[in-house]
Amino acid sequence: MTRTTKPDDGGPTATPAASLRFDAVQKRYPGNARPTIESLSIEVPAGEICVLVGPSGCGKTTAMRMVNRLIEPTAGQILIDGRPNTERAPADLRREIGYVIQQTGLFPHRTIAQNVATVPKLLGWSTDRIAARTTELLELVGLDPEFADRYPAQLSGGQRQRVGVARALAVDPPLMLMDEPFGAIDPITRERLQNEFLRLQAQVRRTIVFVTHDIDEAIKMGDRIAVMRPGGRLAQYATPAELLLSPADEFVEQFVGADRALKRLALGRVRDLELEEPTRVRYGDPVAGVREALRRAEVPYPLVIDADGRPLAWLDDDDLHGERIADGIGSEVAVVDRDDILRDAFSDVLQHRVQYAAVTDHRGVVIGILSADAVARELAPPGPAPVQPAEAHHGTGA
Amino acid sequence: MSLVLAQSGGFVRDRSAGASGQDACVARDGVCPSWIAENFDRYVEPLQRHVLLTVVALVIGFTISFALALLAHRRRWLVTPIVQLTGILYTIPSLALFFLLLPLTGRGFLTAEIALVSYTLLIIFRNVITGLDGVPADAVDAARGMGLTDRQVLWKVEIPLALPEIAAGLRIAATTTVGLATLAFFAGAGGLGDPIYADLTFKSNVLVAGGLCVLLAVVLDLLVLLAQRLLTPWTRAATA
Amino acid sequence: MSAPLAALGLFGDAIDVIFHAREGRAGGAQVGGLSDFGAMAWTHLKVVLASVGLASLIALPLGLVLGHLRRGGLLAVTVSNVGRAVPSLALIAVFIAFLGVGFGNVTLALALLAIPPILTNTYVGVTQVDRDVIDAAKGQGLTGAQIVREIELPLALPLIFGGLRTSVVNVIATATIAPVAGVVTLGDPIFSQAVYGDAGKLAAAIVVALMAIVAEVGLGAAQRAVTPRPLRGTPGITRRARFLPTLRKGAATS
Repeated sequence: MTRTTKPDDGGPTATPAASLRFDAVQKRYPGNARPTIESLSIEVPAGEICVLVGPSGCGKTTAMRMVNRLIEPTAGQILIDGRPNTERAPADLRREIGYVIQQTGLFPHRTIAQNVATVPKLLGWSTDRIAARTTELLELVGLDPEFADRYPAQLSGGQRQRVGVARALAVDPPLMLMDEPFGAIDPITRERLQNEFLRLQAQVRRTIVFVTHDIDEAIKMGDRIAVMRPGGRLAQYATPAELLLSPADEFVEQFVGADRALKRLALGRVRDLELEEPTRVRYGDPVAGVREALRRAEVPYPLVIDADGRPLAWLDDDDLHGERIADGIGSEVAVVDRDDILRDAFSDVLQHRVQYAAVTDHRGVVIGILSADAVARELAPPGPAPVQPAEAHHGTGA
Repeated sequence: MSLVLAQSGGFVRDRSAGASGQDACVARDGVCPSWIAENFDRYVEPLQRHVLLTVVALVIGFTISFALALLAHRRRWLVTPIVQLTGILYTIPSLALFFLLLPLTGRGFLTAEIALVSYTLLIIFRNVITGLDGVPADAVDAARGMGLTDRQVLWKVEIPLALPEIAAGLRIAATTTVGLATLAFFAGAGGLGDPIYADLTFKSNVLVAGGLCVLLAVVLDLLVLLAQRLLTPWTRAATA
Repeated sequence: MSAPLAALGLFGDAIDVIFHAREGRAGGAQVGGLSDFGAMAWTHLKVVLASVGLASLIALPLGLVLGHLRRGGLLAVTVSNVGRAVPSLALIAVFIAFLGVGFGNVTLALALLAIPPILTNTYVGVTQVDRDVIDAAKGQGLTGAQIVREIELPLALPLIFGGLRTSVVNVIATATIAPVAGVVTLGDPIFSQAVYGDAGKLAAAIVVALMAIVAEVGLGAAQRAVTPRPLRGTPGITRRARFLPTLRKGAATS
């Protein structure tokens, strides 16, 4: 879980991502005694995803909508690349900020291609350029180009949301606003879209303000998370790891949930942990030698591997009799990839009789053993965090 | 101010006319195919006049109500007074309105048009407003968020999406106006009401003139429907 | 300058005719005055009540049944479209031509005009009732007839009243041409202009217009009275939001 800001390395993006700063931003509505947003100051470095999360009524959507001036703040200012967003006419400003919303906001009367071409057309791009960009974008979000001439009503919810993302990316905006973009989608599609979007973001590296009420989504998507509490006050602004390790106060602790230790598992990967060495054996090896090797081993079970070093089975005491190890005996091995997320790997371990998993590299060769113990050690405070908590307000902008 | 009946004097059935044994049929006030065939050209001019009355009323009525609807769309407080005002106009019986207008605008095309236009206002205004209200809020929000100006949001998103509802209003207005225009002859403006009223008991006459009215209404209705289908291809796109 | 003045004069004259009888233009009998206009207004009202009553007897049960079964939507819509396209004058003319003159025939013709709005609105009103509500009622053991009486009818009442209002106003307007079929309604001064003169014609127009507006306003108030308070919106504007639930995001919420 180290999605650090990298400079653009010749990806498909040409315009650099923008940095974003909320500077003592306040929003009051006449007639409301309490402000919707009391005073919000956060800084988002270029190319990062900043998630605004909180219960309803915390002002997270209001905060987001002030960035492209759909709502004007009562006090304070919002700076994009160090310049106040009020310097430009709202319509011009918005054309350079991608905008994705929960209900997709696709225009029902326009084809997918026409929807994606909305802002390029406003900016007066040539027909050829628009057509080329549309094809490129549909590919980028994983949609078949044959969808180009369909209408939104002919697409599924997940497909529509992809179009929404493609439309927001059309002119390669330095900054994107996403308001619960995956909120109205079934959990399975949602998970897939989240993963795809993270992959996409790794390519395009835009600065993104992402609004959600779902803390799990925040932890998964965010480079930084701003937890807001009702009344528009910022409770904590931190990386996901830091938020889970040391919640600033009781509100954040409750919002993050009692299972925050488990949630941290979603942040780490198997390779981050110290792995144990297995006792590697093959079918036909002499039993005596295996027993001898086991005496010095960390893991009390021998692991049968094939000629290429791929895991086959766990053996236990009952299997170690006779002269040599009999062919095909032993119990099933949980196999995890070194790049797997810890949570998934741990779940795999718990589902097998032997509470150890064989960790393999990309060729499937065993490189170590993951034990339930190692995971527990990882989670136990004050043990080492899976990643070094970053400073909440470091200014590595573009 | 001349007599109403004098206006329809030009259309008098010649009971003695007709070459063969049609006389008996005509004398019985019956439905006489050969009389209809021989005298059909008598209805051409009233029909043309009827089309003119209807189309002019629809064009003017649509222009006024559409402008009022756009005005009230951003200033919601205007909706209620406009609905009430056009509602009163809509309520005044057409025949009564013709005669209420006669002392002011005299007999003729103008008086008929004022009355006919005033009936289209409520229908079209209401449907345009309903159509604009029915535009999905997220589409408007997305449009604004992407940097469309208010004018662009209106013309590129809201109005296209309101088209089906607007067309529905226009269809109701068209059929209603065709029916009301049969009374325009009371204001001295001609139309198919002229021949109908001139010989109310002659079945052939009533059927031909009335039939032409219904036919005209159906044709106008289909024309608007056709235009709507051409303009709103997305409404026919089957859902996936 | 002179036209508006003359106009005012004529309107004044017209109002005078309503209240004071005068000698007919053709000479002889007295015309106008409260008793004359009162009699015509009464006939007008009778023919309106008879025809709308007849139309309701047919359209209300039909609309309720079709709506309850959620069948025949095409029929309801077609009837209303065709109904609008048939000119009232032509309809009356056809009735005179085929059936002859008289109160009964005029009532029948006007009832035909009154059916479409009542039928369509009743049908739409019933089909609009939330299916969950019907489902819950069924679950509690209500029979079909009970559902119609206890749930669908009350919930459809506002729209049914809307249909009645449209029909009544339409019929008041159309009954003006009843004199051509021998029924002496308020249209008589218009058709017997030779007797009543311009002032009488205008007076009739004024009375008919007033009658229509009173009916419109009165039935509008009745419609509002039978509409549950939360459903009352801008008069005349359908609350689309109720049927197309799109989330309108309040600016102050997130």
